[in-house]
Amino acid sequence: MNPYLAGFLLGLVLMASYLIAGRGLGASGAAKSLLVTSVAKAAPEYAEKSTFYEEYFVSDTSPMQSFLVYMALGVLIGGFFSGAMSGRMALKVDRGPGIGTRTRLAFALAGGLLFGLGAQFGRGCTSGAALSGMAVLSTGGIITMMAIFGSGYALAWFFRKLWI
Amino acid sequence: MAPFIPEGLVNPSLLLFFALVLGIGFGYILEQAGFSSSRKLAGLFYGYDFVVLKVFFTAGITAMTGLLFFSFLGWVDMSLVYINPTFLWSAIIGGLIMGGGFIMGGFCPGTSLVGAVIGKVDAMVFIGGMFIGMFIFGHFYGTFEPLYTGSFLGHIQIFETLGIGKDWFALMLATVALIAFAVTQMIEDKVNKVSPSVISQRPSYRMPALMLIGFLVLFVFLPAVRSSGFDETPVDQLNYEWHAGMAKVTSERVVFDIMNERNDVVYIDLRQSEQYQRFSLPGAINMNPEEVLDRKYRAFFRRDSREKVFFSDGTSVPTQVWTIARRAGISHIYILEGGLNGMFEMLFTDKPEEDNNNYMYGFSKRFAKEARQYFREGGAVKPAPDKQAPVHTIIEVQVPVASGGC
Repeated sequence: MNPYLAGFLLGLVLMASYLIAGRGLGASGAAKSLLVTSVAKAAPEYAEKSTFYEEYFVSDTSPMQSFLVYMALGVLIGGFFSGAMSGRMALKVDRGPGIGTRTRLAFALAGGLLFGLGAQFGRGCTSGAALSGMAVLSTGGIITMMAIFGSGYALAWFFRKLWI
Repeated sequence: MAPFIPEGLVNPSLLLFFALVLGIGFGYILEQAGFSSSRKLAGLFYGYDFVVLKVFFTAGITAMTGLLFFSFLGWVDMSLVYINPTFLWSAIIGGLIMGGGFIMGGFCPGTSLVGAVIGKVDAMVFIGGMFIGMFIFGHFYGTFEPLYTGSFLGHIQIFETLGIGKDWFALMLATVALIAFAVTQMIEDKVNKVSPSVISQRPSYRMPALMLIGFLVLFVFLPAVRSSGFDETPVDQLNYEWHAGMAKVTSERVVFDIMNERNDVVYIDLRQSEQYQRFSLPGAINMNPEEVLDRKYRAFFRRDSREKVFFSDGTSVPTQVWTIARRAGISHIYILEGGLNGMFEMLFTDKPEEDNNNYMYGFSKRFAKEARQYFREGGAVKPAPDKQAPVHTIIEVQVPVASGGC
């Protein structure tokens, strides 16, 4: 799809989200809800001690019954249909030409770890903080966006072997 | 007026359904844009593929311009829209960490979901990493908390921070984005050594770019709109209504309406909730005088067509509330003349026998007698038929709450 057309359509989806629900898109919030719920179920004594898991114990409804969890389910469904319709369904590892599968997976894990951690501080990831924040001109969202891309560029040289 | 769910126009229980539908659109577009490939995403940082920048900024600017336009036309109440809060240092540090995650992992959370679902193993591993990262945050939450909740600046917007008009900021951002699109395209072509013949065959984006800029320039010249969402009532009008007695209903009228179970009027008890629970008028709802203009009651005051009568023991608080609410543009509101005290006096105090064969006097006395009987003997507390069951509370609109994650 033409990237500008994709961007325009994504912008309309984002706007629809604000017009219907009064809030933007998000992806990492669902992961947090899943983590909070599973940890609180598996190790309640551990979870009760931390404010981070409070959401599970305080609220009447399960964190899984949330906007962002259903949105993430939708993302999975939408992505699946798109991939299936365009014939892109395949088990594979995308990696730069200079590294092996194992290195790629190790860095994917490390990258995920950092993203998971950073998304907590940033109160959202590229979609929830940066993209949605930009749409409503939130100062915090725009700062987070600049920090994400700024640090990406600043570190790009050090990790160039991973990709080129 | 949008947003539909916080405004109470769409049943809040449909929220999750809409979340799913919006998510499907979101996921489909991300995948179609090619975001399921980490190599494509990382291209942003090395100049071989700027698709992320193009999609991301086009989406942001589309939504921003659309929301500006809708709020200008009064189609969306931006005060009900969730504006991400600003915790300055937490936002900066979070962003810096995420940037590192982006360059190492090649995904962001949303794109990793679409990557994983079409079989990208690196995306699945990335998601695994995300859980570990969040768990670490939770485990050391005590240590991180001062940073996480510190330097809170409120739900501020960038144009306030910069001290410029939002129309100017929007125009500036769109201009920067369009320049960035042109420059990055040149970089991309240079890095990938694209031949000039291919470049000349690309579609031209001059028209949409000019339209966007023209649109935003128009905004700069249009007058600013009130953001309150209410049209304030002029003071003269307010004065007139008050002195003409249009703001008051008599206790006789209220008693009569209650006895006849009139259902196009709602009584609003402004006393403390303990007093309200002990006794109130049949069907009355309780409201804290300070919260009358709160957004949770907005749909009630604006869309509920019933007449609303404020009352308290006396009249000072209802008068205040009426003045403020009426000034804020709320209409069909009244106060109970004399308050509950006045009403009880009318009901339960015998009027001195006047040497008066006035027909009106006799009528009012008979009415008071009937009303007294009705209130004393429990007629007033008899359960109303189902279809006009008394409202005790208003369904409070769930305002989106600030939360971690995105």
